[in-house]
Amino acid sequence: MNKQLRLDQANMRGPPNSEVDRRAALKLFVSGAALALASCGRPAEQIVPYVEIPDGMTPGLPMRFASALPLAGYGRGVIVTSVEGRPIKVDGNPRHPASLGSTDVFAEATVLSLYDPDRSQAPYSGGRVQDWSAFEAALQPRLDKARARHGAGLALLTGRITSPTLIAQIEAFTKALPQVKWYRYEPSEDDAIRNGAILAFNRPATLLPRFADARVVLTLDADPLGAGPEQIRFARDITQARRTHVPDQSLRLYAVEPAWTLTGALADHRLALRPELVRNVAIEIARSLGASVPELKGPPEAEHFAKAAAADLTARQGGGLVLAGPRQPPEVHALCHWINNELSAPVDFIAPVDPLNIGGIASLKSFVADARAGAIETLMILGANPVYDAPGDLAIADCVAAVPFSAQLGLYRDETAARCTWHLPLTHVLEGWSDIRAFDGTASIVQPLIRPLYDSRTAHQIMALLSNATGPSSFDMVRGYWQQAGKHGGDFEDWWRQTLQDGVVADSAAAKISLPAPQMPEVAPVSGGENFTLAFAPDPSLFDGSFANNAWLQECPKPFTKQVWGNALHLAESDAQSLGVVDGDMVRLVAGKAVLEAPVLVRQGQASHTVATTLGYGRAGAGSLGTAVGFDVYRLRPSDSPWALADVSVSKIGGRQNLLLTQHFFELEGEAKDLQPRFALADLAKKPDLGLSKPGGNPATLYPPHDYDTYEWAMVIDTAACIGCNACVVACQAENNVPIVGPDEIAVGRDMHWLRIDDYVIGGKPGFSPVPCMHCEHAPCEPVCPVAASIHDSEGLNLQVYNRCVGTRFCQSNCPYKVRRFNFYGYADGEEYKSFGDDIVKAVFNPDVTVRGRGVMEKCTYCVQRISRARRAAEKDHRKIHDGEIVTACQAACPTRAIAFGDLSDANSRINALRAEPQAYALLGELGTRPRTTYLARLENPNPDFGKAQS
Amino acid sequence: MPHLFRPYADTVARAVLIAILVVPFAAIAAGYWLSASPYETEQTITVDQPVPFSHEHHVGGLGLDCRYCHTAVETSPVASLPPTHTCMTCHSQLYTQAAMLAPVRESLADNEPIHWNKVNRLPDYVYFDHSIHIAKGIGCTTCHGPVATMPLMRQAAPLTMGWCLNCHRDPAPYLRPASEVFDPDWQAPADQSQRGIILAHKNLDNAHLTDCSVCHR
Amino acid sequence: MSLAAIRTEPTPPEAVRWTLPGARSLDAVNELVTAPLYERQLWSWKAWWLAAALSGALTAGFLVAVYVVFTRGIGVWGVNTSTVWGFAIADYVWWIGIGNAGTLISSMLLLMRQKWRASTNRFAEAMTLFAATIAGIFPIIHLGRPMYFYWLTPYPNTMTVWPQWRSALIWDFWAILSYILFSLIFWYVGLIPDLATMRDRARSKFAATAYGAFALGWRGSARHWQAYETLHLALACLGVPLVVSLHSVVGMDFAASLMPGWQETIFPPYFVVGAMYSGFAMVVCLAAMVRWGFRQEGLITIAHFDVMAKVMLMASIVMGLSYATEWFNAWYGGDRPDRSLVIFEFTGSYAPMFWALLFCNVIAPQAFWIAAVRRSVVAVFVVSILINIGMWLERILIVWNTLSHGYLPSMWRLFIPTVWDWLTTIGSLGLFVLMFLVFVRFIPAISMHEVRKLVDEEGS
Repeated sequence: MNKQLRLDQANMRGPPNSEVDRRAALKLFVSGAALALASCGRPAEQIVPYVEIPDGMTPGLPMRFASALPLAGYGRGVIVTSVEGRPIKVDGNPRHPASLGSTDVFAEATVLSLYDPDRSQAPYSGGRVQDWSAFEAALQPRLDKARARHGAGLALLTGRITSPTLIAQIEAFTKALPQVKWYRYEPSEDDAIRNGAILAFNRPATLLPRFADARVVLTLDADPLGAGPEQIRFARDITQARRTHVPDQSLRLYAVEPAWTLTGALADHRLALRPELVRNVAIEIARSLGASVPELKGPPEAEHFAKAAAADLTARQGGGLVLAGPRQPPEVHALCHWINNELSAPVDFIAPVDPLNIGGIASLKSFVADARAGAIETLMILGANPVYDAPGDLAIADCVAAVPFSAQLGLYRDETAARCTWHLPLTHVLEGWSDIRAFDGTASIVQPLIRPLYDSRTAHQIMALLSNATGPSSFDMVRGYWQQAGKHGGDFEDWWRQTLQDGVVADSAAAKISLPAPQMPEVAPVSGGENFTLAFAPDPSLFDGSFANNAWLQECPKPFTKQVWGNALHLAESDAQSLGVVDGDMVRLVAGKAVLEAPVLVRQGQASHTVATTLGYGRAGAGSLGTAVGFDVYRLRPSDSPWALADVSVSKIGGRQNLLLTQHFFELEGEAKDLQPRFALADLAKKPDLGLSKPGGNPATLYPPHDYDTYEWAMVIDTAACIGCNACVVACQAENNVPIVGPDEIAVGRDMHWLRIDDYVIGGKPGFSPVPCMHCEHAPCEPVCPVAASIHDSEGLNLQVYNRCVGTRFCQSNCPYKVRRFNFYGYADGEEYKSFGDDIVKAVFNPDVTVRGRGVMEKCTYCVQRISRARRAAEKDHRKIHDGEIVTACQAACPTRAIAFGDLSDANSRINALRAEPQAYALLGELGTRPRTTYLARLENPNPDFGKAQS
Repeated sequence: MPHLFRPYADTVARAVLIAILVVPFAAIAAGYWLSASPYETEQTITVDQPVPFSHEHHVGGLGLDCRYCHTAVETSPVASLPPTHTCMTCHSQLYTQAAMLAPVRESLADNEPIHWNKVNRLPDYVYFDHSIHIAKGIGCTTCHGPVATMPLMRQAAPLTMGWCLNCHRDPAPYLRPASEVFDPDWQAPADQSQRGIILAHKNLDNAHLTDCSVCHR
Repeated sequence: MSLAAIRTEPTPPEAVRWTLPGARSLDAVNELVTAPLYERQLWSWKAWWLAAALSGALTAGFLVAVYVVFTRGIGVWGVNTSTVWGFAIADYVWWIGIGNAGTLISSMLLLMRQKWRASTNRFAEAMTLFAATIAGIFPIIHLGRPMYFYWLTPYPNTMTVWPQWRSALIWDFWAILSYILFSLIFWYVGLIPDLATMRDRARSKFAATAYGAFALGWRGSARHWQAYETLHLALACLGVPLVVSLHSVVGMDFAASLMPGWQETIFPPYFVVGAMYSGFAMVVCLAAMVRWGFRQEGLITIAHFDVMAKVMLMASIVMGLSYATEWFNAWYGGDRPDRSLVIFEFTGSYAPMFWALLFCNVIAPQAFWIAAVRRSVVAVFVVSILINIGMWLERILIVWNTLSHGYLPSMWRLFIPTVWDWLTTIGSLGLFVLMFLVFVRFIPAISMHEVRKLVDEEGS
C-alpha cells in the first residue's frame, strides 16, 4: 500500500529501528546458518522483535519493491524481494519495456554484489581510511578556487548517465560554472552506431527494430540476443516472432559474424566472416536493391549467402530488416539505414536517450588532451573505472595520475582508485535513491531495498556536495526532480506512489522521430589482409568487467565454451591447425607495440584470420575473487575502432594453461542427434510423427503407478526458444542458495549448478538445452537411496531431503541425466571459496531454502518452496492453485519464456497443451524414467531456396 | 598338573555368552529411551526471560487473545513476538514504575529491542508455518500446551519428528473448529473422533501431509 | 580340454598324499604347527618383525587418510560431479571378493570332501575375516556424512523413519554384517580343538589360561568331537549359500541400476566367480608366505599349489567368458549408450588399464596349462599377484567407465586419483597384512586337528 511512506521513514529519518531490524535479521540469520544440518548440540537462540514495527510489514513475510538496475548506463526494470530487510532476489518487472518481467544474468547477480565483502566501505586517501568530513575539507578550497574561475580546472568523468535527476544536477552545475568539463564514456560504447546515424541522417538518432513485424532479419556482425541493456527485450521479441509454425510467417534469421554469438546460434543461416569483410555482404544487398556499387567478388560462400539473403529480404516487402553491430564502421551503419529505408523495414527512430554531444571515445580523448595539458586540477570520477576499462592506447592511467586532485566515487577500491588521490565509497544501486532511463527512454525510479551497509554516498549526493547543497538526501533530490518534471496532474503524491509501485514513469518513453531519407554513404568492398584481426566483445558473464568480483557470474559457464573463471583467445579450427595449437596452448599475440600471451580455445565455425575474445578479465583491483582472473584485453583496445584490432600476428609459444570448462571434455556428434533433435518448420508441417520419444508414450513397467489426488507438477522447456543466455542458471543459483565452488574445484570436475545448459554441436551448429532435474515418475535415484533421502512426493516431485541424506551418492551415479550435485566440501557451510564465506555474504541466502552442508547431495526441486507457498496460500482461501500461479525461478528469469511449469492433472493447463505439441519429446524417454521435465525440439526455419539462389 | 580353572569359570563363560547376545539389543533400547527422553528433547525446561512475562496472568488472568501480541500468526510462518509498543499500550498506564518492567521502558527509550530467549526451537531444515496450522484448525495449546497456566514459558511438546508425524499421519484427534483455535482452555469433546474426521474431510489433503516436502525444503 | 591337460600331466606320488613323509604322525603335526608359536628361539622372527613394521607403517597411513577424509570431507579424493564413486567402492568390492575364498575353501571344499583343504582353511578363514572387516570399513568412510552411517540400520528412533529396503546398499549392509558374523563364528568354532591343544602345550600359566579360556573347556571327549563335527558341518552348509548370496548382492549394487555397463543380469554370478578368483589368488599368496615363513613344506605341499592353480585357471576362463558376454550383449542389444561404452572401454581414456586387466585376469593365468608352472611356487605366486592386481583394476574400471561415460555426453568427466585415494587403498592392504601377522603370531595358522584327521585317514 503506501510504500512511499515506509520508504521515507526508512531513509529520511533513517530510524534506528529499521537499522536494528537489518542488523538483527542478519545476526539471526547468520546464527541460524551456523547451525549445520542435523546439528545435535543446540546453542541458545534469541528472538529480537521490533521496537516499533515498520508500517505494512509482517514478520516472516517477504516484501517486494519495484526498482531498476543499470547495465552500460541503461536501466532494466526489476522487482526486488526483501525478507526481514534483506534484499535476496531480483525478478523482472513486467511493466518495464526493457524487462517485460524477465531478467538477465547481471540483474540476477546484483544481490550478491550488494553483499560483496570486498566493497569499498569508507573514503580512502594517502594510504589510509579517512572519513567524509576529511574529504569535504580537502575538496572545499579547490571548489572555492574553481568557482572563482567559473569552474575552470574542475572536471567530471562519468560513465554513460541516463538518470534524469543526475543529468539535471550536472547540467545545473555546469550552467552555473560554465568552465567545468564533463567527460563521459562507456567501455561497451556504440559510437560507430551513433556516427552511422549522423552520416545517414545528419543528426544523431537511435534505431529501434520492431522484430514483431519483421519476417526476415539479417544481422551484420550484430548480436541483438547478446549481453546488453536491450538483450531481454530483443530476445523476447525475436523468439516471439519465431513462435508460429508457419514457415512464411515465422521470423527467419540470417547472421553474418566473425565469431559465435547467441544470435548466430539461433540463426537459420549463419555465415562466418572476418569483421572487415562483413561490409561486403551489406554492399551486395544494397546492390541487389539497385544501389550503384561494384559487385561482390568472393569469397564464394559469402556471395551465395548475400544473394540468398538479399532475395529473401526483398521478397518480404516491409518485413525485411538489416542490423549492423558496433564493430562495423559508421559507413556500414549508414548503408544499412539506406537498405532498411529501401526495404521499408520495420524500424522506429528516437532521439538518443543518452544526451551526449560527442561520442564517448572522442570525449575520452579530449579528457586525455586536457589532462596532459594540465588543464585539469580537480577531477571527480563518478562510478567509472577508466584506468582499467579505457582503450589502452590512451594511457589513461598516467593522465589520471597527472591530475593534482582526483577523487573517484566507486563500489570498489579498484584500478582507478589506486591512481586517484581520493577514493569514495559509492552507494550500491539497491541501497540508494536514484532514477534511470531504459534504452527506449522509459524512466524508472531506483528505490533502495536496504539502508546503506557502509558509509557510502550516491552520485546525487556528490553532485550536491560539489554545488554546496549539502542538505537534501538522494530521496529529496530524486523526488524533487520528478515533482517538477513528472507528468502528474497536480496530485503528485498519488502519481509518485503509483510510479514507485509500477516501477516505470508513465509514458516517459522517448517519442519516435521522423527522419529524412538516408543518404547513400561512400563504401566499397574490401578484401581481408593476411594478418589476423582481434575481435573484442562484452563478456557474457562479466560484461565489461565491472562484475568481475561477482562469484555467481565468474562461475557461470559461458555459452558455447562453457568456460568459467577465465577467458581465452578463440581461434578458428583452420587457424589453430596452421598454428599447430590445441585448447589451452599459449600463444603470443603481437599488435604494434602491444603484446599479449594467452591460452587458446579452438572454435569450430569461427571465421578464419579472426581471433575473438571477451572484455572484463585480468582485473588488477577487482577484489579478492575477481583480481588476476584471466587476461586483460582493454590495453590492446584501439580507441579508433574499440571492437576490432586489425593486423595482429599470432604465434605459438611453449606452455599450456588449464582452461576451466564445465563441459566439452569429449565431443561426439553421433551421440548428440537423439539428445537434441532439431527440425525444419517445413518438415514439421509435412510429417506429424517425428519419431521422438513422446512425453506420454512410456515403456511398460512392473512398478505400480503412483496415485495423485491433488497436483502433478511438470515442466516443459522449449529448446527452439532457448537462446542460451544463462539467466535461468543464475536465477536458480540466487533462489536456491546454490553455492559456488571456486576454480580449484571446477578444475577437478566439480560444480554445483542445479540447472545446466547442455550445448551440443550438430552439423557445426550449436544448440542449447537447459537441463534441470527431470523429476522422473520412475526416478532411478529413488530406489537406490538406502535412507529414502531421495523420495517421491504426492504431487509427483522427486524430493531430495538434505537432512536425511548420508551421502552415498548412489542417486547421482544412477541418474541418467546426472543432474544431482554433491557437496564434496562445505561449499556453503564452512569451506567456502575465499571471501564467499564471509558472514555478510550469508545475508543473500533465501531463508525458504535449506543451506546444504558438507557431504549432502542436492538438486533442482522445481522450486518446491514456491510450490509450498502457493499451496498454503491457496488452501488458506479454500481454492486450488491456478494454472500459472507457480513460477519457478528459472521460468521467471527466462527472457524468451522458453520454460513453462504447471499441473498435469489440470486438463486445460498450458503445460498439457505444450506436451501435446508434435515436436515435444522426453530426454532419454526410452529408458522408462518417465521424466516430468520434457522438451520441445529445436525448430529452424531455413530458406528453402538457399543454395539454389546462387546456381 | 594343577587345574587351570575354578568351577565358577563355567558360570562366567555362560554369562559372557549370554551377554554377547543381550548387550547389543539392550544398548539400542537404552539409546532410544534416552533420545526420546525430556532430557534430550529439552522439554519441561522453563526458560528465563529478560522480562518475566507471565502468560498465566495475561492469558489466564486477563484473558488476552493470543493474536493481541502474536499478530502475524494467521498470516505468516512465524507467530511473531510483539514490538515494545504493544507492551506499552497498557504499561504506559499500568505498573509504570514496576521494576520488572524496566527493560520494556528502556527498550522504548533507547529504541533497543528486547532480546527474548527462544523456547520452542526447530532445526533450520524444518519449515514450520504457524498460519497454515491455524487455518487448518490446529489450536495454539495443541503444541504449546496450557499456556494459560504457565507463569514462564516452557517447551510443552517433545518437538521430535515422530511427534510431528503423529499428528500429520492422523490429524483428526487434534482438529478444532475455527472458532476454538485460539481458546486456551479447549478440551477435546467426547465425540472428537467423529468431529475430527469431519473437519479433516473438510480441510485436509491428507496425502500431502506426510510428504517430506511439507516440512523439508 | 582342461581335463585332457590334467590327464596328460605326469602325477608324482605326492599328488595323492597331501603331506610330506616327515609330517605323517599326529605328534609331528602338532609339533610342526605349534613350534613356531612356542619354540620361538628355533624360529627366526626377523622377517615377522620386518613385515609387522612395514604393514604397521601402512596402517598408520591408512588411519591418517581416514582422519583426513573425516575432517576435511571426501572432497580430498578424486571423485567429481559425474564420477561420484571412486577407489573406496572399488576397494570395498575387491576386499569383499578376497573375503569370499576362505569360507568357500572351508565350507564348500569340506562338503565336497576335498582333503587338501585341511592345511589351508585355517588361515584362509582368517583372511576372510580380516578382508571382510576391512571391506566393511569402506562403505562407511566413503559416505559424505559417515557419522550417520547407522541410519542404514532399522533402529528405533524419534524420527519414526526407517531405511529404504529397495536399495541394494541396504541388502549389502545386511549381507556384509551377516557374513562377518558368520565367518567369525565359523572360524572360532574350527579353532576350539586347536586352542585346547595350545592350552595343553602351553609353557606359561598365562598362555595356558588365555588359550584355555577360549577353548571353552574342550577335553576332546567323543561327545565333544561329535558335537563339534555336527556344528561345523551345519555351519558349512550355512556358509555356502551365504558366500554366494553375499557377492551376488554386491553385484546387484551395480546390476540393480539403470546405467550402461552396470545394468546387466550376468553381474551377480560373474561377481561371485570374480570374488572366488581373487580370493583364491590371495590364499595362494598367503599359503606361500606361511609355508616359507614357518617352514611348513611338510603340510603345505607343491600339490596344494598345483590344485589351486587349476581352480584359478578355470576361474580365469569363466571371467574371460563373462567379459566377452558383456561385449556381445552391448553389440547385440544395439543400444547407443552400451555400444559407446564398450568402445570407450577399449579405446577411451582408461583403455591402458582395461588392457592390463584383460592380461592379468585372462591371459596370464593361461600359463597354468603347463604343469611345471603350476608346480612352481614362485610362478603360481607371481600369477596370483597379477590376478589380484587385475581384479582390482576390473573393480575400479566398472566404477569409472560407467560413471565417466554415462548417457549424456555433456556430463562425461574423468576421474583423477589423488594421494589420499592411493593412501586409503594401499593403507588398507597394510592393515590387512598387520592383522594377519598378529593372527599367525598367536594362533596356529594351520588347523592341527583337521590335518591330524587327514594324516590319520591317509595313514603313515
